Amino acid sequence: MEEMMETVVPQEDFDRNEQRYLRELELDGHASVEAKFGYAYCLVRCAHKQDIAKGIELLEDLAEHHPEGRRDYLYYLALGEARMKNYSVALNYCKGFLEIEDNPQVRSLQEYIQKRYDKDLKKGMAVAGGAVLVLGGILGLGMALAKNKNRRDK
Amino acid sequence: MSDKTIKLLIIGESGVGKSSLIRRFVENKFDDNHDVTIGMDFKSKVVNIDGIEYKLALWDTAGAERFRSLTPSFYRKALGAVLVYDITNRESLTKLEAWLAELENYSDNPNIATIVVGNKIDQDRVVSREEGLKFARKHRALFLEATAKEDQYVANVFKEIVEKIVTSDDYNMAQAGNTIDVNADGVAAESNCKC
Ligand SMILES: Nc1nc2c(ncn2[C@@H]2O[C@H](COP(=O)(O)OP(=O)(O)OP(=O)(O)O)[C@@H](O)[C@H]2O)c(=O)[nH]1
Ligand SMILES: [Mg+2]
Repeated sequence: MEEMMETVVPQEDFDRNEQRYLRELELDGHASVEAKFGYAYCLVRCAHKQDIAKGIELLEDLAEHHPEGRRDYLYYLALGEARMKNYSVALNYCKGFLEIEDNPQVRSLQEYIQKRYDKDLKKGMAVAGGAVLVLGGILGLGMALAKNKNRRDK
Repeated sequence: MSDKTIKLLIIGESGVGKSSLIRRFVENKFDDNHDVTIGMDFKSKVVNIDGIEYKLALWDTAGAERFRSLTPSFYRKALGAVLVYDITNRESLTKLEAWLAELENYSDNPNIATIVVGNKIDQDRVVSREEGLKFARKHRALFLEATAKEDQYVANVFKEIVEKIVTSDDYNMAQAGNTIDVNADGVAAESNCKC
């Protein structure tokens, strides 16, 4: 798990995905879902917080507008938030995911984040500032997911 | 410890049982559900070969189309690749051709060890053993058939590829620290992301 969290995206892959995204933006005024996702997927695994935050923003947008890919977005939202050390937010994404689909990959991510979170709490570190605010958004997302599931079940 | 780490990639079409083989090998568990892997997953296990302990870093990749070619540089520094197909699905074997091409394209190790694995031998087969073997020979890969579900030959898959790696000249030269060190430019080289 450590490896999943710490491995930084190789420069070459980052560049290629960024260029594709920017090119589409320039040519069409908007980027395709896949270009956006490829770019976000790289951003959340960058070393710097500004980049991770940018990736999170893209993923939130994708989660809202492209429900078919939602499990992918939720997973990388959890990973990105965890890499930002916003552990409680990250855990909420895991929980949201697991409510829809029990999945060992997400469970092990959740366990890992929980451990990091507990460690931080023990150290008495401040818990991420924006957590309460973001929570509202996530609950909304959770509800959207639940609705989606009902539709599928019917 | 870290210089005894062996990075292995598990690749192949979605649904052939890549995650299941790893789960069986590492946790001795099996799940009938297809938990479609998101991007990639990581598991590790220490194995003992001839009295020496190696840490296997197992990178389980998603077969799903949308993750294809997103971050091919991830193939770098792998010492071996496990190429999995499903013996009940001929297309999964034909498509290994494309996975191999991708591997050859992006791997920085021209002598990367490969093993072709026909999974699900507990089921009625569509692909004969000979077909799988022929494919493996053509690509100079090792070959085994296995079942993650019934736990047959799963450990052999990993044992055989690790043995092939640790007995290779490349590996032993790199370990001796003189020539091409496939492990040398680890995280440091990757963290120069301009972001
Ligand atoms: N009968 C049988 N089923 C198996 C075997 N191995 C895996 N399966 C089933 O095949 C399906 C796919 O297995 P996974 O391990 O999730 O496949 P994967 O290759 O990781 O798929 P992706 O993550 O989508 O790339 C699951 O329903 C497993 O239970 C086996 O040896 N025999
Ligand atoms: Mg899988």
